[in-house]
Amino acid sequence: MNTKLVNFSLIKYELRNISGNIFTIIFGVFFPILMSSLLSPVFIKDVPEEYKSIALTSCFISFSCIIPLATVFIGYSAVFSQELQNNIPIRIKLFGYTEKTFLFSKISANLIFVTISFFIYSIVNYFVLDIKTPTLFSGSILIISLYILTIILFILAHGIAIILKKFAPTYAITMVLYFAIMILSGMFGVTPDSFPKVLQSIAYTFPTTYICNDFIDFWNGSSYNFAPFIQSTLFFLSVSLLVLFYGVYKNRRSKQ
Amino acid sequence: MITINNLKVKYGDEVALNIKEPLTIEKGERIGIIGSNGAGKSTLVKAILGIINYDGVINSDIKPEEMSVHLQENNYVDTMKIKYVIEGILNTKISKNKRLLELINFFDFNDCLNKKYPGLSGGQKQRLTIILVLMQDSPLVFFDEVTSGLDFETRQQLMLKINQWYKNKNTTILIVSHYYEELEQIAKKILILDKGNIVDFGYKEELFKKYCGESVIVVDNTEKNKEITERFNKLIAPKHLIALSCKDSEEQLLITKVLIENNINFKRSNNDIEIMSINAKASFRLRNGEENKDEYKAC
Repeated sequence: MNTKLVNFSLIKYELRNISGNIFTIIFGVFFPILMSSLLSPVFIKDVPEEYKSIALTSCFISFSCIIPLATVFIGYSAVFSQELQNNIPIRIKLFGYTEKTFLFSKISANLIFVTISFFIYSIVNYFVLDIKTPTLFSGSILIISLYILTIILFILAHGIAIILKKFAPTYAITMVLYFAIMILSGMFGVTPDSFPKVLQSIAYTFPTTYICNDFIDFWNGSSYNFAPFIQSTLFFLSVSLLVLFYGVYKNRRSKQ
Repeated sequence: MITINNLKVKYGDEVALNIKEPLTIEKGERIGIIGSNGAGKSTLVKAILGIINYDGVINSDIKPEEMSVHLQENNYVDTMKIKYVIEGILNTKISKNKRLLELINFFDFNDCLNKKYPGLSGGQKQRLTIILVLMQDSPLVFFDEVTSGLDFETRQQLMLKINQWYKNKNTTILIVSHYYEELEQIAKKILILDKGNIVDFGYKEELFKKYCGESVIVVDNTEKNKEITERFNKLIAPKHLIALSCKDSEEQLLITKVLIENNINFKRSNNDIEIMSINAKASFRLRNGEENKDEYKAC
């Protein structure tokens, strides 16, 4: 029986599972780099010269959100829904793994993958873009935020997958949400303030909107009110947990 | 080890399993579960494992996580080589695990380690799950149609190896199979299911005596053989065969003498699970007042 919460072999297995999916590699590693290094200069072409470095840094921060979004929300939901369709999770659990160990391994592997991807993203952008060096505090806040975002997106993706149990509808829903989050958060160049009131309200329920638009404000050490960001994070977490709990309820096992 | 009572499993409106009387599985028992398609064999396994919803009681000394199972359908990820799947699931390194290496050699699985799951043949896929299941060393193991879809030779090899592996162990084994010769090799007890109900459960020899007598003599179902065997007690048998029941050795000698005199080939058995289960099911259906088909008249 494999009841230990931390199982390094299973984490390694899950990490291989994530990196063995070509779509996760393309969208979780190359796509954010492509967006930041190729599209950022296009986005900032009308920005005055003295603000260009700030604008590029803002692009760097914004596009870093694509890493958890693509890796976990698109990649994980696609891989896991395919596994569910083929009854692989139940097969693995029947080798004596508890749900906790199983989920811990999956989430740990995703966090490790996001860390590696963010590291590559930062190194490439450091050399390609003229990015302002963050303070220890602001850099740490971005990294912690990306980890929290990874965990929340994992919860939501897992919940959607266990409710729908099939690859096609899971992929369709996560893809729609993925683009909705990216557009509403301002990653495609349109700031949320330009949206109609209703869309603005929706946009500010996503923590990504604050990361993309506000994190540049305290990048060099200025003060920032984190309350709205924390509120949106808690709200997004609550919605994700509700989806997950519904999925768990729908798939509940009988008592022995 | 496991006690089942009033177990009912439904798929929609259809009752897939309905076990009314208590069923007890003791530690170390080797039980063969037989029945036609839809008899409830796999459903029973899944209920014991707790992976389907059911009404009733299943009391077990061990948790579902401690049980191991070879399901009818076993799939694995195709994103990595098989060796990494094995190492991940078993929480070990193949090169450092003597027992695992031994098992991989035992099942001639070395050449498959660098392949991905879709690249394995049917027999190799079955062997992968068997290796993983055997490595778990659980006190209770289920084999659900472990050899289905495999050719005769591969089936024989697999069963022989599973048999050898568990030879001197006290593992409780429940094996579901359509192949009676496999059950004859492993099972000491037989659980016969029919349309979700228990037809009978007991030691192979006892059930054989109950439904077939001391022994069974089987000949081909030809006009000539029908005529020659007319005066002997017949059992229900597959259409191409005639099965004669021998209540004692005297009757057995008499039948064999007649068959030899008439130069008829025959097969004598005192453990033919197929004939036994066919007759047990027919008897059960008759007791339950089901349609009195011709085949039941022999009971």
